Amino acid sequence: MNSLITYMAMNRLAASLPDFFFVAQVLPDPKTISAAQPTVVGTWNLWMLAPIVFGAIGYMLIQHGVVKSKPATGSGIIAILAAVILAIGFTPNTLESWMLMSFCAVATAGGVSFLVAREPVYAALGFATAVLSTCGILFMQSALFVAAATMIVYAGATIIIFLFVLMFAQHTDLRAYDIQLTNPLLAGAIGAVLLTTITMCVTGEKAFASNQVDATRPYSQASLPAELRSEKAEEFYQKTTPSARLVPGTTAGLGRALYTDYLIAVELAGTVLLVATIGALALAQRTTEEHA
Amino acid sequence: MNDILTQNLLVFGGLLFVLGMVGFLTRRSLILMFLSLEMMLSGVSINLIAFSRHHQNFQGQVLAIMVLTIAACEAAIALALVVSLFRRKATLDIKAWDDLSETIVPKELEASVSMEHDEQEFPKLTPSGLDPMELPVPANFDAVTGEIAERINARTPEGVTHA
Repeated sequence: MNSLITYMAMNRLAASLPDFFFVAQVLPDPKTISAAQPTVVGTWNLWMLAPIVFGAIGYMLIQHGVVKSKPATGSGIIAILAAVILAIGFTPNTLESWMLMSFCAVATAGGVSFLVAREPVYAALGFATAVLSTCGILFMQSALFVAAATMIVYAGATIIIFLFVLMFAQHTDLRAYDIQLTNPLLAGAIGAVLLTTITMCVTGEKAFASNQVDATRPYSQASLPAELRSEKAEEFYQKTTPSARLVPGTTAGLGRALYTDYLIAVELAGTVLLVATIGALALAQRTTEEHA
Repeated sequence: MNDILTQNLLVFGGLLFVLGMVGFLTRRSLILMFLSLEMMLSGVSINLIAFSRHHQNFQGQVLAIMVLTIAACEAAIALALVVSLFRRKATLDIKAWDDLSETIVPKELEASVSMEHDEQEFPKLTPSGLDPMELPVPANFDAVTGEIAERINARTPEGVTHA
């Protein structure tokens, strides 16, 4: 059995190595997308409920157990591990998917430790783990700029600032509000129901269209292959030089899309940032009564 | 790359979102509630990026950048709010601000999980000898110290909480 799995893994590895090395630079030909592999594990079945339920039970047991008993905590951890092992059964078996899924697993572990940790600093570290692995996932989805920006904004700025605040509000022992949570059982149940719904919607038959082209974004489309271009995009394609037509998935292409098709959104985002800066300054200022 | 990977990423985005939501619902510390919100946002950006890859265009990535911008604004404002709230009441507990809710809203039930220190072991003082006030020293020294030890053990407070 083991050797069979190893053999299959090596086979997959050999088959998907070229894909893997070019995943960050070039997107695959859209024609091959429509000829997707036969769906084996992707469709919804009742067994997908099992990891979700196990995870929720594990979370509830741990939250109930940290304050009550060690056996409950242990069984909660075992339930979460069972959920992870079951969830692995639903992942497709290719190299790229294995890398993606390991990023997903690390991110999920970070998220769970964020939920379960009592000490705020540990929770913040779990959050940092989750966000960094999320950046890995974004990187593997050819979103290089977004991955870098997420890493800088979240893992850099947010975590540093919040660790700073945690130190600022320093306490040596745990506070009551870190231990007494607001109804973790109900929240866990709500989360399980929501996750089940999301999974059912996403893995259902024809949950999302396989390939759609938005005709209102001509600049971005000019770089697409001929059969995916709209009329207006074709017009732009004829006008532009080859060097200006960039491969979709590159950062330069993203920049071009940002400053042509989405210019108003960029301006609005800049305005929002300015307003937020002013608001933060106004909020953080000490009023004169507080001085007295 | 293909539909199955997109599906997996969508499920994973949903998972991150749900983890963040559960954290937001249960946590009571202002900072950790904010971090939960950020985790929900990162789940949303994974969704957007997965669709961007799937549809081979930049809409998802552009939207993810917008989400990132809003998250940065939110971080700045939330930090300022947390600092000013902490200055007022010297606590990060969200329950300290319950009086801002409407009066019609029924008083929220206390958490189902309560902190009990059954599991924790408090140090027990070893009986150190005689009460200095009880002089002179009685003849049956050992018996009296034993009695004092029993009294001290009986006096050990039960269920003391330290906030």
